[in-house]
Amino acid sequence: MAAAMVLLPGENIPTERLPKPKKGKLTLGPGLQHTPPSTISATTAGSLQVDHRKAALWLEDAGGRYQPSVGDLVIAQIHHSSVETYSCALTPHTSFAILGQLAFEGVSKKTRPQLKAADIVYARVSKASKWEDVEIECFNSATGKAEGMGQLKGGMVFDVRPAFARRLMMGTDKEGVSKGGVVLLEEVGGKVKFEVAVGRNGKVWVDSGSVRETVMIGQLLRGADEGGWDVEGQRKAVKKALRDV
Amino acid sequence: MPHATRPSTNESAFVLSALRENLRLDSRALDQYRPISLKFSSDPDVYGQTDVRMGKTRVICNVSCEVITPYSDRKFDGVFNINCELSPLIGAGVEIGRPDQAELLLSRLLEKSIRRSNALDTESLCIIAGQKCFHVRADLHVLDHDGSILDACCLALVAALQHFRRPDYEVHGEQVTVFDVREREPVKLTLQHQPFCVTTSYYDAGTIMVQDATLLEEQCREGEIVVSMNRHGEVCQIAKYGGVPVDALSVLSVVKQSWEKVKMMDSVVREALSKDERERDKGGRMKAELSAENERVMERPVG
Repeated sequence: MAAAMVLLPGENIPTERLPKPKKGKLTLGPGLQHTPPSTISATTAGSLQVDHRKAALWLEDAGGRYQPSVGDLVIAQIHHSSVETYSCALTPHTSFAILGQLAFEGVSKKTRPQLKAADIVYARVSKASKWEDVEIECFNSATGKAEGMGQLKGGMVFDVRPAFARRLMMGTDKEGVSKGGVVLLEEVGGKVKFEVAVGRNGKVWVDSGSVRETVMIGQLLRGADEGGWDVEGQRKAVKKALRDV
Repeated sequence: MPHATRPSTNESAFVLSALRENLRLDSRALDQYRPISLKFSSDPDVYGQTDVRMGKTRVICNVSCEVITPYSDRKFDGVFNINCELSPLIGAGVEIGRPDQAELLLSRLLEKSIRRSNALDTESLCIIAGQKCFHVRADLHVLDHDGSILDACCLALVAALQHFRRPDYEVHGEQVTVFDVREREPVKLTLQHQPFCVTTSYYDAGTIMVQDATLLEEQCREGEIVVSMNRHGEVCQIAKYGGVPVDALSVLSVVKQSWEKVKMMDSVVREALSKDERERDKGGRMKAELSAENERVMERPVG
């Protein structure tokens, strides 16, 4: 296994690193760009990850900047509302994302959602491009169901890095091992009841019954994100925190 | 476009309900400061540069001086300026050149605490009355903002002033010779006292008092009281600009609490200064060379 290769923006990937696809097609993930006929170059800085089985390449980026892409689940904060839309902030440094007032489950022109400035919603990115405003929606436009999206009430929002949020959302593979290497929430969930929503833009919403438990979960998230704990470290930290509560 | 972030309704409601249960998000006590780290420049020729961290808040201060002509209406005084500007480094929504109210208050409180309280004796900066004096300037840069930037700025400034050394000079009649640092050891500034600022944020009409608030706690607060005092308990100024009204007894108890914190900050600065002096003077060689004492040889008495 060759050492992980770190690429800077603009560098080309040497051909010996490219996996040999069975069907002759390579899948490019985030951070890579294809210039025909056969050059693949990096657009951001990160370490190159290769999956030979699926013939896929992408760049893992530990940076703090979130770039919206279609299909991402995000936690957006409403900044102001206009006639037909809400303007929401995904991150403090980018322009507002547009959320249509009718993009919710079960609303019509007569019954609109009652959202005010500074409320937060769990939404999915429906349109993301460099030249247009980002658009988000709070329901699945194909089925018309909310699927967990919509306004988040109560609880607390914690800031994490977007790369950590992505690891939190990776889920588990066939053997039940967490793919992202983050077992925090599952371990805590064994003893404490809470609801959680993870936004790919670096926000995690947690609502447990008690303030003390929510604060504890927030501290564990921050520790794992900034301290870079591995699975063992996370388990130890969770045990210690549960003892103190 | 970068815009100033306001916390969501969920966050502000949560912070308030946690404070009502005596809990803070990082498990500190309500009056507990984050660990303060104070570093000086590691270059042995550079004096008066400090780097202060309080949690994620980070401030650097640089003190420098030059020789100028004093103001005509203050012939016997030198000039001392404090320059503190916030930049977009610290977060979205801050622009250089367009100070918002928080930045104006920061500058004004630093002026009141340090300049108007005469912490630095400007008369000691005079070289020849009416003709030559030192102009000491302190430049503060906030690199990261997670609350309590006034407290951190004041600490960085006072530590830098105590660390800084100005060039030595000699006056013969009308002629002044200002020596370079390589010719003569530079001289410390004359500080009359060391003031520190303590910011107390309050919630629920003054029933909950919190010190060293993080950025999120600051954004949810109802008001703040800033007390500047030195370790002897002498108050330089008390400021409460707007905010929800608070009764007078609470203000008195805040001043008393602030005194404890000022003593803590003063001991942090003293410890860092003495540690820095020991490191710059490794082996005690400088002290031995500059000392005017002769070595006394112990001889056995005759007889």
